[in-house]
Amino acid sequence: MRQLLVLTGSDLLQRARDTSLFIFALVVPLALMSVFNLVFGSIEQLELEPVTVAVSAPADDDMAGVLVEVVRGLKGQAGLDVTVDEVDAGTARDRIDDGDAALALLVPDGFGQAARMGEPTSVEALRGDEAGIEADVVLSVVDGVLEQIGAGAVTARAGLAEGVPPQELADLVGAATSGGPAYTLEQGRASDEQLDYGSSLVAGQAGLFLLFTVGFGVSGLLLERENGTLARLRSMPIPGWVVVASKALVSFVLGVVATAVLLTVGGWLFGAEFGSLPAVAVLVMCASAAATSVMFLIVRVARTSEQAGIATSIVALVLGIGGGAFFPVSATGSLSALLDLNPVSALLRGLGTTSGGGGLGDIGVPVLVMLGFAVVMASVSRLVPDRGVLA
Amino acid sequence: MTDDVLVVDSLVRRFGDLTAVDGVSFRIAPGETYGLLGPNGAGKTTTISMVAGLIAADEGTVTVAGQPMTPRTTGPKRHLGLVPQELAIYPDLTGRENLALFGRLQGLRGAALRGRVEEVLSLIGLADRAKDRSKEYSGGMKRRLNIGIGLLNRPTLLILDEPTVGVDPQSRHAILESVEALSGEGMAVLYTTHYMEEAERLCDRIGIIDSGRLQAEGTRDELVRLIGGVDTIRLGGTGDLAGAADELRRIPGVERVETERRSAVLTVKDAPALVAQVVGTAAAHGVTLADVEISRPDLESVFLHLTGKGLRD
Repeated sequence: MRQLLVLTGSDLLQRARDTSLFIFALVVPLALMSVFNLVFGSIEQLELEPVTVAVSAPADDDMAGVLVEVVRGLKGQAGLDVTVDEVDAGTARDRIDDGDAALALLVPDGFGQAARMGEPTSVEALRGDEAGIEADVVLSVVDGVLEQIGAGAVTARAGLAEGVPPQELADLVGAATSGGPAYTLEQGRASDEQLDYGSSLVAGQAGLFLLFTVGFGVSGLLLERENGTLARLRSMPIPGWVVVASKALVSFVLGVVATAVLLTVGGWLFGAEFGSLPAVAVLVMCASAAATSVMFLIVRVARTSEQAGIATSIVALVLGIGGGAFFPVSATGSLSALLDLNPVSALLRGLGTTSGGGGLGDIGVPVLVMLGFAVVMASVSRLVPDRGVLA
Repeated sequence: MTDDVLVVDSLVRRFGDLTAVDGVSFRIAPGETYGLLGPNGAGKTTTISMVAGLIAADEGTVTVAGQPMTPRTTGPKRHLGLVPQELAIYPDLTGRENLALFGRLQGLRGAALRGRVEEVLSLIGLADRAKDRSKEYSGGMKRRLNIGIGLLNRPTLLILDEPTVGVDPQSRHAILESVEALSGEGMAVLYTTHYMEEAERLCDRIGIIDSGRLQAEGTRDELVRLIGGVDTIRLGGTGDLAGAADELRRIPGVERVETERRSAVLTVKDAPALVAQVVGTAAAHGVTLADVEISRPDLESVFLHLTGKGLRD
């Protein structure tokens, strides 16, 4: 153990004196974070424009009234500034044509009665040519209200078919349209796995460059051989595994330190919050272990440090991009499951959980993914014929 | 011979179809410098790689200080100092840090480590540059540091693999002097080289290796005798050289005398012992000598005789 620490300490000292490590592990990722933040940072600062909705609804239709009130009630919700103008249908169409309204809702006469009796009815929505995302938000809300009203129509049809008396039928429809959903899903903060863009960028770049950083440690084995020091180490009275283990330890430590610094500095520069320190520390250590395991596979097959460097870059970019280091990545089917096993992706998910307030007890899945990845890679590296430094 | 520091017995190492080392055996006693002399690719480095426990032998055994050496054993490596052919130092560490690192790996610690590091720094003449990173050293200084690391643990067996390759004459001279001093202190030295003059100067015994096989071994004189080697004395001058030739042939040890108009070439058993008598005899017959040249068979001749090729082929 003493010899392992001696070798590891010496290696870390040399890495600390190696400016290329400093540049690759800290300067480049921070620079990239800055560039991406400047280019894409405005996505997060989206400001909704005021939106005018022209509504034509029968005055004596209480169901139509509900719809109008819901739309009117959006004012001040989630940054929306909605103005509802109640006009007749012709004027509503004119407003759209003139560009005075972003959205027009035309509720037909007998809308409420039809809904209660389970008869087909529809609300016509007209979207202005230059309407923005605000109109889409209002439309989606209207769509939701209509779905609920549609539930009432279904209830009415079912009641009629079963011969429910008219008074009871009205009560049932009323309950279906105004009672709200029977079940609600409340998302706790710990299950919120979405980082905001700035935090996602910091975490993604940290995950991507973690792979480059640990590469410095493990490829040191190849450099030892190229520099002749591996032969000298092997002539020392130390077990052979100590040399390999020291490189793994160096990689792990470099990965943990570099990622911790990146998350801290990146968080400070770009306002990212990652939550529980112990949980983040566990995630960073697991990610570093996973990354180190990949590098051992590379060292197994690469004959020179140059080959190892190229392979490291390829693996880092594939895992980094696939894990969402630059932008969110989504897929379906098996590919989606495969992406979920990516350690960078798992790190981001874990940090999403901690940033939402999750603690050690909430990061089990990403931790297991990363440790599982490390075990699989380490096992594979044992099975692959050694063409590299230990051959 | 049980107290031999190194016993190499019937070593074989193959790389695919190539047999790099084929049945090599030799021993080194304490205080003895043994040279493995052979051209590049002869199997010298592969042999010492097995001796140092860097690679495993396919057949045969290596015993260092009475303990079997394999890549997995650590005990015999405590007796070993290896100076690889390539520089094996860390450029981003200072000279002192390089020495301290390898000293710790060899089990030195505390005051003993610090003391030994300073001793070695003085020995290799780097005490005043000990704080500089080794990448800032000259080529000769790096070579000296490379050797110094091999001396840290006061090894029973020091292995030097072509330590003077690519070294300037001044550093080369310093290295050879250091090796002479070390063997004088009782250290067993295994020295590989393809420079005949280094082997002749340093080594008590020499093994001539080629194509993975030890062709012959012994002292320099024993090796020369193997090829029935004789010396030559060439006399240049004026006078009756032909007349002196008959008298020169009568000197015991002179085997043959061939004369030309202004020179005579004598084939003799031991030129240094006979040269005075030869010069005196020639002068007694009125020959005025302008020059006298002695030639002795060297290891190059031996190698050529044994392998049919030169050392630098």
